[in-house]
Amino acid sequence: MPTYRPTPTDSFPTDTSVLQRETEETLSKHIPSPEYPAQPLHRNAHLQWLVRNLVQGFPARYTSQDASQSWLMFWTLQSLSTLQAGLDPGNKQKAINTIMSWQHPDGGFGGGPGQAPHLLATYASVCALANVGQPGPRGGWDQIDREKMYRFFMSVKQPDGSFTVMHHGEVDVRGIYCLLVVATLLDLLTPELVAGTPAFLASCQTCEGGFSSSSQPYFSSSGDLLSSPRPPLGEAHGGYTFCALASWVLLRSFQPPPAGVDINVKRLLRWLVMMQGSEIELGGFRGRTNKLVDGCYSWWVGGAFALLEMLGVPAPGKGETPAAHDGGDNEWDDVDDALFNRRALQEYILYAGQHPTGGLRDKPPKISDAYHTLGCLSGLASAQHYVVPSSTRREETTLLWESNADLSFDEQRKNAFADALSWVEEEGASRYVGGSADRVNAMHPVFNLTMTHADAMMGYFYNQTVLPRLRRNV
Amino acid sequence: MASPPTLYAEDPAWQDVVPVPQYEGVTPLAPIFYTPEYKDATDYFRGILKSGETSERVLELTERIIKMNPAHYTAWCYRYKTLIALGSNLEDELRLTDVYCFKYLKTYQVWHHRRLLLQEELDFIARCLGADTKNYHTWSYRQWLLAYFNHPQLWKGEVRWVERMLSDDVRNNSAWHHRFFVVFAAGQGEQGPEVIRREIAYAKQKISLAPNNASAWNYLRGVLDHARVPYSTLTAFVEPYTLEHDKEGEASEDVVDLEDPPPAKGAELPCALAIEFLADVHEGEGQEGVRRAVELWKSLANEYDTIRKKYWEYRIREALATQN
Ligand SMILES: [Zn+2]
Repeated sequence: MPTYRPTPTDSFPTDTSVLQRETEETLSKHIPSPEYPAQPLHRNAHLQWLVRNLVQGFPARYTSQDASQSWLMFWTLQSLSTLQAGLDPGNKQKAINTIMSWQHPDGGFGGGPGQAPHLLATYASVCALANVGQPGPRGGWDQIDREKMYRFFMSVKQPDGSFTVMHHGEVDVRGIYCLLVVATLLDLLTPELVAGTPAFLASCQTCEGGFSSSSQPYFSSSGDLLSSPRPPLGEAHGGYTFCALASWVLLRSFQPPPAGVDINVKRLLRWLVMMQGSEIELGGFRGRTNKLVDGCYSWWVGGAFALLEMLGVPAPGKGETPAAHDGGDNEWDDVDDALFNRRALQEYILYAGQHPTGGLRDKPPKISDAYHTLGCLSGLASAQHYVVPSSTRREETTLLWESNADLSFDEQRKNAFADALSWVEEEGASRYVGGSADRVNAMHPVFNLTMTHADAMMGYFYNQTVLPRLRRNV
Repeated sequence: MASPPTLYAEDPAWQDVVPVPQYEGVTPLAPIFYTPEYKDATDYFRGILKSGETSERVLELTERIIKMNPAHYTAWCYRYKTLIALGSNLEDELRLTDVYCFKYLKTYQVWHHRRLLLQEELDFIARCLGADTKNYHTWSYRQWLLAYFNHPQLWKGEVRWVERMLSDDVRNNSAWHHRFFVVFAAGQGEQGPEVIRREIAYAKQKISLAPNNASAWNYLRGVLDHARVPYSTLTAFVEPYTLEHDKEGEASEDVVDLEDPPPAKGAELPCALAIEFLADVHEGEGQEGVRRAVELWKSLANEYDTIRKKYWEYRIREALATQN
């Protein structure tokens, strides 16, 4: 059994280093050894756990998530899709009916029936509908009130280009991400909706390179927003960084950011790679500097690398070409351009992230929960597959585009659509630590949806043709 | 709530309080002819001052006096004490005083009252952070409070306070970020070369205590980037951290360089973060420098920071590509 170097403490212990050391001791027990052989993905245990939550409901300790029922639904349905499973028609219909009961009469979705509309709940509901819904009278998709939803979005817009998560709610980049994903999926993007938003996002980048929850605006005496100071509130954080970066990618597709508004990609990349824990932490990701690794950042941070591809990092073609084979069992050629340790991240999720009785978790010895289950599974997907924007697919999509001459921003719509659907799994670049039996579906790196669900939903709402994808082995 | 009776003297709920007239046994010179309401309220207020009562009805009483005379600083002050004693919601109080601030913009007391409330709020946040030193919401709330109310009196103690947080735990990244927020990002105070020198020296000193602390290095980089100070100005400081400890400890004993503090005795060297920093310095030096940077990146990829091998290899590719 290999022994790895603990994180150096320089003979200068503090609360942070003590906690770190304790965690490393716990985690290192999960490094495979003759007594504890490497764990495969316990697919069936996870499926059973997910289906039990869905069909029998969540235990009482989830009461604190009463206002997040839409999230519980999304995490569960999306986890099933990631594991290449789906619901039977009866349960699908039940799911659709449940989700639709969260739509608010004034537009948007709440966290449960009768709850106020909220950007996060709206994302969770719409993405849950991407999993189980369809066009038609009871399919959910046609029952989304898009006009009212757009009005709800505009009603929470702030003078600094940000959005509050609900009326009288707080501003943070999670809400902006949720809004932009829904607006992109449902063809609700307009220049008016996103005016000022790129500059707000850029202002959330901290001196470390990652992004914070929000920033504080200042206005001149005549009421104009000042470009400086615009200090970020809170330190760089994995969840906010993913949301800000994904939002940036979506906005950039719709229209280029205004002159002088930009993010520092180099510093962002450095911050992202620094979040990966060392070998003794099994290569999991942490969410902030000097904090502990946690399974959910497998997606928030591990998943963010694919987004950088849209910003040209790494520059395409710089690395060696991938081998022509599709990662045979136990064979690992580090031939792709990935900038983080994909193998180690898979190991963290498989060895430390799985709870023995099903579901995935933050870290041992914690129990599993719905949120960390999706975070770990999506993270596993981003570590298994190398997902990139394909310029060929993008071009073909734009050639098939049917324009709407009535819209002044039809070109922007087309770009948002074509970029969002240009993501593909790079051929031959998938790798599986425990063999291809552990394969999970690749994720759409911006939406956190399965590619085919994103294709179907956008094709429908934009009324455009979507190129078919190669059927992958299932 | 029904509107209260006009006079406290007629209010059964106040009959246990003994009103205290302003002048007892004195015939004042140049007296003010108060309205009956004002005289009644201030008589009862003096009664309260005497008994030392702090209760909800005291809040009501002080509010009534303040409405009639916003410059009644004793009423403000006693109101503040009562709020603290009752553990009242200070945000509600702020909202309440919003109205007065607007009405009585030129009244010193109303602003001072708000300042006290906010100061109290900063103390409260500090207590919360004592219990949970990295709570994201608490830290960003503190930053919002400072930035939003933006009063010199509020900012004044921040650097000293965050210094205490960092001496408790030099690896608390939230506290480092707060320091950057206070000193640079929020655009407060002077930001001249003196401040930049001070902050660089501070970061160096903290690095010397525990060199393998990413927070301190990130802060140092943040300051240098913000102030556009070249990394190469720190070469002399960084180099000893990229090497093994001096076996004999020659010279370093007596000559303590305050500009460039050496690694502490217990430091685990070489320090990967220092190697990375030095590689960044060399990368900017052109051909020969890039060659040295490549060597350093290779040592990170293969020995000192193997988990990030792919990233260090990427840095090598990028540096060589831009050279050609
Ligand atoms: Zn987590």
